[in-house]
Amino acid sequence: MPQPEESSLPRLATGCRWTGEGEERTLLFPEGALRLQSTGRAILEHCDGQHTLLQIVQELQTTFSESDPGKIRSDVFIFIERLQQKGVVTF
Amino acid sequence: MVAGPLALIVEITYRCPLHCVYCSNPLQMASVSSELKTEEWIDVFQQAAGLGALHLHLTGGEPLAREDLTEMVKSAHLAGLYTNLITSGLGLTQTRLRALVDAGLDHVQLSFQDSREPTANWIAGTRAHALKVELAPIIRRAGVAFTVNLVVHRQNLDHIEEMIAFAESLQPERLEIAHAQYYGWALKNRDALLPTRAQLENSVQVVAAAQKRLAGRIRIDAVVPDYYARFPKACMGGWGQRLMLINPSGKVLPCHAAEVIPALQFENVRERPLKWIWQESESFQKFRGEDWMPEPCRSCDRRSQDFGGCRCQALLLTGDAAATDPVCSLAPQHSLIERELARVNATPGSDAQEVSTETEVLWDYRPQPK
Repeated sequence: MPQPEESSLPRLATGCRWTGEGEERTLLFPEGALRLQSTGRAILEHCDGQHTLLQIVQELQTTFSESDPGKIRSDVFIFIERLQQKGVVTF
Repeated sequence: MVAGPLALIVEITYRCPLHCVYCSNPLQMASVSSELKTEEWIDVFQQAAGLGALHLHLTGGEPLAREDLTEMVKSAHLAGLYTNLITSGLGLTQTRLRALVDAGLDHVQLSFQDSREPTANWIAGTRAHALKVELAPIIRRAGVAFTVNLVVHRQNLDHIEEMIAFAESLQPERLEIAHAQYYGWALKNRDALLPTRAQLENSVQVVAAAQKRLAGRIRIDAVVPDYYARFPKACMGGWGQRLMLINPSGKVLPCHAAEVIPALQFENVRERPLKWIWQESESFQKFRGEDWMPEPCRSCDRRSQDFGGCRCQALLLTGDAAATDPVCSLAPQHSLIERELARVNATPGSDAQEVSTETEVLWDYRPQPK
């Protein structure tokens, strides 16, 4: 399995798509659905094949400027890897 | 008020070109003439989406036997549902698949009876395997999520490694390895299908190794046979909690097998709104929650995890739908399962090729509905 790197371009795997609006916004995939809180959702919404993992990290570091940037970085990597294992994200 | 269903399973027809010996359809199938019409199904999908359902699983029989499938998928997609086609593949062509994907189909789940053609055709009771193999790359390229489904049992577990390698070569996103569940035709053919303990233990190890090896590439979901478990499965996530199933003639059930419970009257979408059936009908309330539970379930720590197990299995094996599922090691009637397992384990598991000449006596094939 490819390891996530700063230059990776994560995108939603085939058959994964968003539905609903606002608080109800949900990611649908085979046999499952995810309704995510603010940060998780922000990460996943950037998984569009256009943003590198580094860009996603930097964007979150700007949005959550009071949090430890190193922790944000490792959280994003762990989160992306978990979604990759679930078959939701690929790169 | 009970939360709405998460998913709707619709058996849109019982017609099927295959005759699989473990089919989950009932032994008595409703007639073809009683199938819901296109507009009736579309109305059901809209009602389900309104209740909050996210997923629609289109199954059968073989859903491709319905010529209006594309129209149904389109309506379900427009209603906001994630659509999953559970199919043998027979009746699917590149052109038809493209139309289905254009209509909004999200996911195709293609079943295989075995990795070996003669065995696969023997289990399906028809020559379907080669067509499925041809279809797999077409599905792979169609821009939908692709799941390969393998049903495993006594006749194929001895080469489960080969089956996983075969599935891997088809490059799905997801692989479902499901032990046959003993309802419907599988219960009728249980003696030929129930694995030995040695087969089961080997398969658990093989599957775990494959999950590790394929992590991030193919997600493997495995369903284990509850006969060998210490505790029952949380059947359907609890009676009337997460799922509802509608059979070809519009009868609404909490699961595939519920019709076997003779004391229950199931409602029909032709007569009642789906919302009323889900929230208020007697059949959906009967085993919802914990009030119906006997001991030892009622005071068991696991009652909110497994909900006392499966009501249909309790009925089929003990004659009482409100009994503790006999597969539970704490069930008063667990000896029914122990006796069955002792019998099954008295003879070694057999790989299919050795017994393929005994077809006539080994099992009953699922026939076509009238």
